[in-house]
Amino acid sequence: MSEQRHGTLEELLALRDGEGGAWVREHVALCAACAAELERLEQVRSQLKALPAFAPPRDRWLVIAQEARQERRRRRVSWSSGAVAAAAMLVLGFVVLRHPGTASQDAAVRQAMAESAAMEQVFRSLQPDARALTGRTAGVVADLEDRLAQVDAALNDPSAQQGDPGRVAQLWKQRAGLLSALVDVHETRATYAGL
Amino acid sequence: MADTLPLAEAKSLVARARSGDFTALERLYRTYERPVYTLARRLTKSAEDAEDVLQETFLEVCRSLRQWRGDGSLWGWIRTIAASKALMRYRREKLREWEPLQEELGGAGVGEDIPLRMDLEAALARLPERSRAVVWLHDVEGYTHEEIAELMGMTTSFSKSQLARAHERLRRWLGTGVEA
Repeated sequence: MSEQRHGTLEELLALRDGEGGAWVREHVALCAACAAELERLEQVRSQLKALPAFAPPRDRWLVIAQEARQERRRRRVSWSSGAVAAAAMLVLGFVVLRHPGTASQDAAVRQAMAESAAMEQVFRSLQPDARALTGRTAGVVADLEDRLAQVDAALNDPSAQQGDPGRVAQLWKQRAGLLSALVDVHETRATYAGL
Repeated sequence: MADTLPLAEAKSLVARARSGDFTALERLYRTYERPVYTLARRLTKSAEDAEDVLQETFLEVCRSLRQWRGDGSLWGWIRTIAASKALMRYRREKLREWEPLQEELGGAGVGEDIPLRMDLEAALARLPERSRAVVWLHDVEGYTHEEIAELMGMTTSFSKSQLARAHERLRRWLGTGVEA
């Protein structure tokens, strides 16, 4: 043994976790007391893992579901009436002021925004939050909503537009298209379910 | 250890939950309520605190489902949310102000008798909260010292020393130490 001492608890724990240094590894191979201590630490860990699980004393699901529904409703309202409208004005103002396009390009942006707003109104009228979706339909809706969120993020970031009115119009068209697809999914399902 | 869902099933449930399917959300809750509550019981000081952590965790899961991209364990993601919620309570309650004193007293309250031997459950419950949290996160949940340090807002050496102190106490209280 190079040192006349035992391994410290921290050194032995590191060894137990596969991280110990060369000295403690060699020491434990020669020292019965430290080998026993290492074995005990391993046993304690096994015993900790074997302790029984606790069961919650009360069912919290109804409280959580109610709160989650309220939060979801608040986010939807905010998303539909506030954030995107504000982003629209911000982006339009940024593009027009900093990078004026031709009259036809500005008209194209306004036209695409109007299409998006109209399609969003149709989508809201279907009350998508009130519908429970299952299986493949839910996956399609989730994918469309993810893509919609990406488009909204791009619209919220004027620098991502590179001052190009054509790019802005394209994003608004994409938004209208995604909303249209969401409307189709919800309408198809409503027809199928006889709603 | 939690009963984890197969990845394909977890992805399908999360996709449905994200689109507003509360049946899928409830399935997630039923799958993970027990492991989350157990973790919370180990990291907090009372059953009431653990219930609050359980509720806060699943509300956060509902809010943040889009952040789980399906490229890692769903239980690992939920567990980290639960651990963060539980550990945040330490900061709120400013336990740091009194724990060092308890450390000096060897983990026992003033004038409190310590039985010669305890079972592991009782010994674990007796550990100071931060020591118990470190020992549970490291030895049972498998977090590294680096991960624990990040969760607790402390250093890696803090996590290592807390683990060693916790095991020193457990050895003393469980009565199975070796002479060194």
